Amino acid sequence: MSGNSLVLPIVLWGRNAPTHCISSLLINPRALLFGHTASVTCLSKASAGSDKQYLVSASESGEMCLWDVNDGRCIEFTKLACAHTGIQFYQFTIGTQREGRLLCHGHYPEILVVDATSLEVLYSLVSKISPDWISSMSIIRSHRTQEDTVVAVSVTGILKVWIITADVSRMQDLDPVFEEESKPIYCQGCQSISFCTFTQLSLLVVCSKYWRVFDAGDFSLLCSVPSENNQSWVGGEFIAADKVIIWTEDGCSYIYKLPASCLPASEHFRSNVGKKAEGSIPPLVYSIADRADKQLEEGWEGQCVVVRLPDSACDPELYTPELQYIQRPLEAPLLICPPVTRFFFGRREPFHKLLIQGDSAGRLTVWSIPETSPLQPLSSAAELQVSVSISLQEAFDKLMPSPAGIIDQLSVLPGSNDPIKVTASVYIPSQGRLVCGREDGSIVLVPATQTAIVQLLQGEHMLRRGWPPHRTLRGHRHKVTCLLYPHQVSPRYDQRSLVSGGVDFSVIIWDIFTGEMKHIFCVHGGEITQLIVPPENCSTRVQHCVCSVASDHSVGLLSLRERKCIMLASRHLFPIQVIKWRPCDDYLVVGCSDGSVYVWQMDTGALDRCVMGITAVEILNACDEVVPAAMDSLNHPAVNLKQAMTRRSLAALKNMAQHKLQTLATNLLAADNADKGNLPKYSHNSLVVQAMKTNLTDPDMHVLFFDVEAVIIQLLTEEAQRPNPTLVSPETLQKAPGGADKGGSFLANKIFKQVKETIKENIKEHLLDEDEDEEEEQRRREEKSKSLSLLEYNLTMDTAKLFMSCLHAWGLNGELDEVCLNRLGMLKPHTPISFGLISRGGHMSLMLPTFKDSLLRQLAKGCAEGRKLSVSEIVGKGTYGVSRAVTTQHLLSVISLANTLMGMTNATFIGEHMKKAPARTVPRLTVSLSACMALLCRLSLFLSLSLNRARSLALSLPFILSASRSVPLYPFTPLKVLMCVTGWSQLAAMHCVMLPDLLGLDKFRPPLLEMLARRWQDRCLEVREAAQALLLAELRRIGQSGRKDTIDMWAPYLPQYVDAVSSRKSRKITHTTPLPRQVVN
Amino acid sequence: MLGTERSTLSELAKMTAASQAERTVLEEEFNWLLKEEVHAVLKQLQDILKEASRRFSMPSPGLEGQLKQENFILGSSTMDQVKGVLTLQGEALTQAIQDARNHVNQALQLLSSRDESYHFKTGAEVNKLMDAVMLQLTRARNRLTTPASMTLPELAASGLMKMFTPPMPGDVMVNFYINLSKLCLTVYQLHVLQPNTTKNFKSAGSSVLHNPGAMFEYNNTKFEVSHVHKVECVVPWLNDTLVFFTISLQLCQQLKDKCVLRQR
Repeated sequence: MSGNSLVLPIVLWGRNAPTHCISSLLINPRALLFGHTASVTCLSKASAGSDKQYLVSASESGEMCLWDVNDGRCIEFTKLACAHTGIQFYQFTIGTQREGRLLCHGHYPEILVVDATSLEVLYSLVSKISPDWISSMSIIRSHRTQEDTVVAVSVTGILKVWIITADVSRMQDLDPVFEEESKPIYCQGCQSISFCTFTQLSLLVVCSKYWRVFDAGDFSLLCSVPSENNQSWVGGEFIAADKVIIWTEDGCSYIYKLPASCLPASEHFRSNVGKKAEGSIPPLVYSIADRADKQLEEGWEGQCVVVRLPDSACDPELYTPELQYIQRPLEAPLLICPPVTRFFFGRREPFHKLLIQGDSAGRLTVWSIPETSPLQPLSSAAELQVSVSISLQEAFDKLMPSPAGIIDQLSVLPGSNDPIKVTASVYIPSQGRLVCGREDGSIVLVPATQTAIVQLLQGEHMLRRGWPPHRTLRGHRHKVTCLLYPHQVSPRYDQRSLVSGGVDFSVIIWDIFTGEMKHIFCVHGGEITQLIVPPENCSTRVQHCVCSVASDHSVGLLSLRERKCIMLASRHLFPIQVIKWRPCDDYLVVGCSDGSVYVWQMDTGALDRCVMGITAVEILNACDEVVPAAMDSLNHPAVNLKQAMTRRSLAALKNMAQHKLQTLATNLLAADNADKGNLPKYSHNSLVVQAMKTNLTDPDMHVLFFDVEAVIIQLLTEEAQRPNPTLVSPETLQKAPGGADKGGSFLANKIFKQVKETIKENIKEHLLDEDEDEEEEQRRREEKSKSLSLLEYNLTMDTAKLFMSCLHAWGLNGELDEVCLNRLGMLKPHTPISFGLISRGGHMSLMLPTFKDSLLRQLAKGCAEGRKLSVSEIVGKGTYGVSRAVTTQHLLSVISLANTLMGMTNATFIGEHMKKAPARTVPRLTVSLSACMALLCRLSLFLSLSLNRARSLALSLPFILSASRSVPLYPFTPLKVLMCVTGWSQLAAMHCVMLPDLLGLDKFRPPLLEMLARRWQDRCLEVREAAQALLLAELRRIGQSGRKDTIDMWAPYLPQYVDAVSSRKSRKITHTTPLPRQVVN
Repeated sequence: MLGTERSTLSELAKMTAASQAERTVLEEEFNWLLKEEVHAVLKQLQDILKEASRRFSMPSPGLEGQLKQENFILGSSTMDQVKGVLTLQGEALTQAIQDARNHVNQALQLLSSRDESYHFKTGAEVNKLMDAVMLQLTRARNRLTTPASMTLPELAASGLMKMFTPPMPGDVMVNFYINLSKLCLTVYQLHVLQPNTTKNFKSAGSSVLHNPGAMFEYNNTKFEVSHVHKVECVVPWLNDTLVFFTISLQLCQQLKDKCVLRQR
């Protein structure tokens, strides 16, 4: 998805919640954020105020993303070579200014200080003495000195202190800051350190085998408690001046009351420090066993708290922490990794102290930490009760109606409640079909828009069983793991062929038109994990193959034409991670998960070499530059021939020869291939269905991506083709745009180009291909007629219908809803629609179906009380109250589409024309009439006339027309046409100007001005007009004061046309202020 | 006709019975795998990695005062102009070795958290642990096998250049890194490009080893590499650790493969 075009995702989650193994914990998000390519290692908040809720995430591969939590927009992202394991947000004070900084540590010896808005590395904190990885850190603000201190512990147990002064913070260059203090504290395997925010005088260090309290002033040891029963501590925090909470790897937490020697308020504070021999704590910490008999043991059930004391006996009570509470995790079966625990302390009223735990089953558990101590502390440590607990799956299960899956209606077996899980899917855009492979080995072909309509919208289709018409292919014995439609990737493949792989080790070729199984390959010794299409310039033999990868670490080249496996590369020691190609050398390059690379000769099946390390990386990188290399080899045939000879590869030789022939043909044709190459392959698809899963064993969930621009183009194309659709020749097309409305000018080029392509394609076919292709063509036509048994329908109109029905704000204007339903043919949703948001760099957030949980609960209550409250009344309104970015995207889409439909003939989703592509000639007059109407309505919109005035204008028009009586009667009476046109104009007007009033400002998040402004000159005329109208409407809505605020906010970033000398200072400021990133979204 | 049908039926019944028996056996085998085999492999892994970790001879925190000195004589098979005698003092480890050591220790920590007393319940659990261990091991090995490729200005700004006392002359740059089991030292001789030079200035990209003729800009001065000398010497213990890493990675993968086969 390119970042610039307006693409809206809608997700069908299905009933199974995605696997969500919690690896880091912050606050409870409302949506799933996608964007990292590796597992996430840490999260941190990235803004201080409550107005902006930002969050930063880092992954194993060194990526960092800044997200807006409200709508899941990715605001900024960056990638460093090293992976972070911890990030902390901190506001440094520079004079009166406060600047957000992220302090990062990880697999590198420094602490990186990163700007919290731009994610730029500002400077680093470096160790002079024994630098090593930092295992954890804490930031202390001292009120006395106005300095910020960073305390960190390295993996070798050396405590380091950096002091950040205002000077340091201001530094712009990458000069390192060295530590102030470095002191070994003999803490191996340090897990976390935290500073006591209550007294500001002590420091808690948690290591896996013990936890310790240090004096924050001179870092002398005050208290140390070992773990018992082989448990390892993983973290801890002060919950009060005298209490700490420590948690273990298996999810238990313990609250200890600190002994008096650790309490600055107590007279016994530091009373044992001096008694130790001068700073020499024995590095051996496991010596408890032989000392234990001398020490006092507090024997609680299963708890054995032993404190090492100085040899001179003192009153043990002073130094022994008292265990107050134990919290045990819920019995959660089948956790695959240790849970994550964090303690949150509310800084504002009502000062909640919460312990929150997340685990690999996607469950969050919350305990509220009591302020008071239990009454009888010595009898047994009290166990804390869970306050709240919920898992993602539970949340999904509770939903009524349950979250929609893409083909749920076709997958529920009689006698069972749960649908058969979809395990693999591929979308064929040219036919609008979705192919779903399922858990039971069957494959279902179904029209994508139709099935999505069933899942999301209510209508007469709800009464029919097994709707929409579909085809089921049966052949696999068990789960289908991958699907491939090769024709979609390259036209050289037969458009009937579909390839599927399963856990039964087999790969099957299907004919999707007849539903016939063509061939079964059984060459692998493991589940098929991937099916790939080889690149264009491979040898002809390989060009008709698909490449299959299996979990037994083997790769096969399966020829669809010869119906046999032409090469099997196996015996790789590690799972295959990537397949790359060197077509000009006839090499297949296999990258394994351990970093090793195997180079195979495709023709002979011989292993050319196997390499590791830097050479492996270089070989993989070289494969990416394969295109210029191939061009090069054509220019130097001699060199290439020599290479082929030395490698004794017949295929490479053949390949060479063919290349030369092809060049000849290309020259003869003088076709401008470059032009064709520039067009992205799937840019014209208004709808793309993408299957996603967060875990290989999860069922697929499906995201429908609607490309608004593409929908508009397709609608206009069809409109333009309407006059004479049976014969498409350049002549008619050249004339057609003249008759159509102004959208046509944009269109004309496009269609012309398409026709040119087709002609060129034809010439090529006849020049280069044998006559066998003609036979094939004949057969293909026959087959196509067979495929008519699957419902033929108008894909574009269906897509528009689905999209508009999802976007419209239902239930705000009853009159308009009626028009939408009865005249325009839109359908009300029957389930909440989970939208998504695509932001910078393809980062995406998807709303969870639980998003409207509270509203749905309200609905359930309403039903119980006997009130009639339809689901759609609730589900429609909500999307405009999510966030400003979401509102902007949705309004832009709905208005631009309504405008487009307004300009079309018979733009309603009801009637015969929805069944198949348009085939009737429509009188030119109607076209121009509707176009003129559209213009009128648009004009009214643009000027933001009130709805009523627009309508009265529209209604007066038919009378004028009927008065002139020059219009003969057509299948569509002008009145009917006009009704549609007014319907669309009302719809657009409502979304453009009336929404804030109808929804109320508390439920409406206004569109973002900067996002609208960026579309002021959008390349798509309809989107541009919608953006302009919206922007004007919004500017009017915010009134004078709002406009002034906007100007004030943006003024610092505007270029200043003032005398350069006098304004040097102000310019400097402009330079250093980072631009807010919202602009770029 | 009937007879054949009956026989096929009985055969089918036999087959289902057989597959049922087979299933039980497989189930038992998998339980054995989780209970016994996994721990055996984990033990073996720990032993190997402890051995590897020992090679890194982590200086024990108590022996801070003693500075260990190590000498390396670096040579090259093709050129005799440059000989390197490198003396490493104390903990002056190269970053790569430190990182590799830390990764190994993290892997060890992961393994030690699941000792014999721990009962693995699912194959997925074993898989997840193996993934985490393998990630650390792959990184440890990668740190040794793939030296960081740097641009020349990055190299000039790096700590490597500041390590020397007395400081390096301005027209010499060194890079010092580990490649596989070899300690490599590259010396770049530079000459300053005059601002009015007719040469086409093109900044060199990042690479492990730059070639003569590579150009770069640093501190507003343009340089060109005139000569490159590379010397290296094999460090035997590094070779050992690489072997250990490879063996343990294979052990991990084999265990994973066993679990995957029975995951369904």
